[in-house]
Amino acid sequence: MILLKTTKLMKAFGGLIAINKIDIEVPRGEIRGIIGPNGSGKSTFFNLISGVYDPDLGSYIEFDGHDITNEPAHEIGALGLARTFQLLRLYQDMSVINNVMSGYHTRVSYSFTEAVLGRKKIWDKEKEIKDEMMELLSFVGLADFAEMNASELSGGQRRLLVLARAIASKPKLLMLDEPAAGLSPHNVDNLMKIIIQLKDKFGLTLIIIEHILKVVMDTCDAVTVFDHGQKIAEGTPAKVKDDNAVIEAYLGKKMNDDEMRKALAV
Amino acid sequence: MEKFKEIIRQYPFVGFIIAFLVLMAVPSIFFTDIYQSHLASLICINIIVAAGLNIVKGYCGQVTVGHVGLYAVGSYTAGCMFMYLGSDLWLTLPAAIIVTAFFGVIMGVPSLRLEGPYLALATLGGAEAIRLFIENGEFFGSTYGISNISQPVIFGMAFDTPDKYYYIAMPIMLIAVYFSFSVLKSSVGRAFMAIREDQISAAASGINVKKYKLLAFILSAMFAGAAGAVYAHFPPGYIHPNNYTVIEMITFLAMVVLGGLGHIWGGIIGAVVITIVYDITRPLYQYQLFIFGLTIVFTILFMPKGIGGFIDKYFIDKRFKKKKTEDKK
Ligand SMILES: Nc1ncnc2c1ncn2[C@@H]1O[C@H](COP(=O)(O)OP(=O)(O)OP(=O)(O)O)[C@@H](O)[C@H]1O
Ligand SMILES: [Mg+2]
Repeated sequence: MILLKTTKLMKAFGGLIAINKIDIEVPRGEIRGIIGPNGSGKSTFFNLISGVYDPDLGSYIEFDGHDITNEPAHEIGALGLARTFQLLRLYQDMSVINNVMSGYHTRVSYSFTEAVLGRKKIWDKEKEIKDEMMELLSFVGLADFAEMNASELSGGQRRLLVLARAIASKPKLLMLDEPAAGLSPHNVDNLMKIIIQLKDKFGLTLIIIEHILKVVMDTCDAVTVFDHGQKIAEGTPAKVKDDNAVIEAYLGKKMNDDEMRKALAV
Repeated sequence: MEKFKEIIRQYPFVGFIIAFLVLMAVPSIFFTDIYQSHLASLICINIIVAAGLNIVKGYCGQVTVGHVGLYAVGSYTAGCMFMYLGSDLWLTLPAAIIVTAFFGVIMGVPSLRLEGPYLALATLGGAEAIRLFIENGEFFGSTYGISNISQPVIFGMAFDTPDKYYYIAMPIMLIAVYFSFSVLKSSVGRAFMAIREDQISAAASGINVKKYKLLAFILSAMFAGAAGAVYAHFPPGYIHPNNYTVIEMITFLAMVVLGGLGHIWGGIIGAVVITIVYDITRPLYQYQLFIFGLTIVFTILFMPKGIGGFIDKYFIDKRFKKKKTEDKK
């Protein structure tokens, strides 16, 4: 079953074609990696799918059976597509727990009128939400920081926080833009465990943009390679690693075993 | 004490009932002359405005300088209904809320396209347009204002002096604060904050940014409308376009900035402080704009979180200490 599908996805910024006729199919339950050199269009691809940018005419995006090509971002989010941003975009001036709880937005079950009247039911529900989100914070290892301001977190902790915020909506598809950038080796391992758990325990489908090859090779079921806005290769991590075009575009040159080992060791 | 805290947390309105009883007792215990009641009623009215402004500015982060226009709409809805229909507060209050909500939509539409200083200019233009429209409209009593607006009567008792009117303004203020508290502590308040912090992230979380921005404007307009109506009926029941100028707008802004943007209790304290200072400095009216402008600038420069920031810090420190002692055990 295909969860996400794009056909002839196109986006030009002025004369620059950032995404050039990309066709992708991501089946349910898969972890898909996206790799490619800087400026190859990976983040733009996420922005098109999640509705931050409108794709150019002729593009088509389907998510979970819905045509989302020209849907606004919040509708796409409500359909069960969550994402993180390369530049994080966390809510600096809000507590860590409020950051995560705002990710819960689409799942809130009480109505606006009920909220205005401030019924006890709401307070109970809010407490339930808070408890669940505290659990989520422990899951990513941030429970001790719940009441802190998000701006007080370290760079690596912020990355974990935006991950938690995206998971909070219980999405069907989770798209992570360089989740491991700036994490310490220990936390990279942690992140990989989290990613695997999200798939195995919660049945999530994930798309991960990542430059750290080790993460891609060890967690992804399949990898798509971008270069200059085009898809130049696709397949299992092992297959992609040996693809000549990929090696030229991304890895620069064919590496011997020793260099490869180095590149994969974070 | 712990048990009591838990009850308040679960049933916040219990807290408001206690506040009501305390505030009912305040005048007879503390007030020595009618001026203090006058001031207390004004404070209540301004708290309603500040609570509303806090929703749109403090929580949702929309830079509006047009709130005083909405306040004027509330007052003049009440004033005109009294003048032409002879309505009393119990009718003009809900009407003012509804009419002002409608104007809130108009005031909010520019926020869908404009941000920061541009939005401030657009909303300022809106407020001035409303004031000039009133000032030049015969229908609204133009520069004569509207006078002798009636005071409410309950069971034959007329609340026609400031010391009596306090018992009208105060409960309305408490209800307004309770509503703002309920909204802002729910997912709606979180959505407002998310929009303030990052609209693209907010949308990615499924928050309909346009809808919630308009909602913030409408809600805050309803508060301004309510406050405007309560002010119109405030003895001696006189309203004039000069009560709705940029100076008033700056004082409203000073309340929420001094109180701490996005802080419910801070905004209330800000309203109390600024109302008192405003009234004391009335003889120096030519300097008032200067005084409150400086208050805003200095607050933003030297304590950007306002009074609310200190309150938060106090509680966080206290919790931190408590946790430390618990850890030691
Ligand atoms: N909003 C924009 N306006 C103009 N050009 C843009 C915009 N966003 C991206 N681009 C351009 O599109 C191209 C692809 O950018 P994108 O951010 O998708 O790259 P990327 O593959 O994510 O790179 P990196 O690995 O560095 O994050 C770049 O050349 C970039 O300059
Ligand atoms: Mg990128």
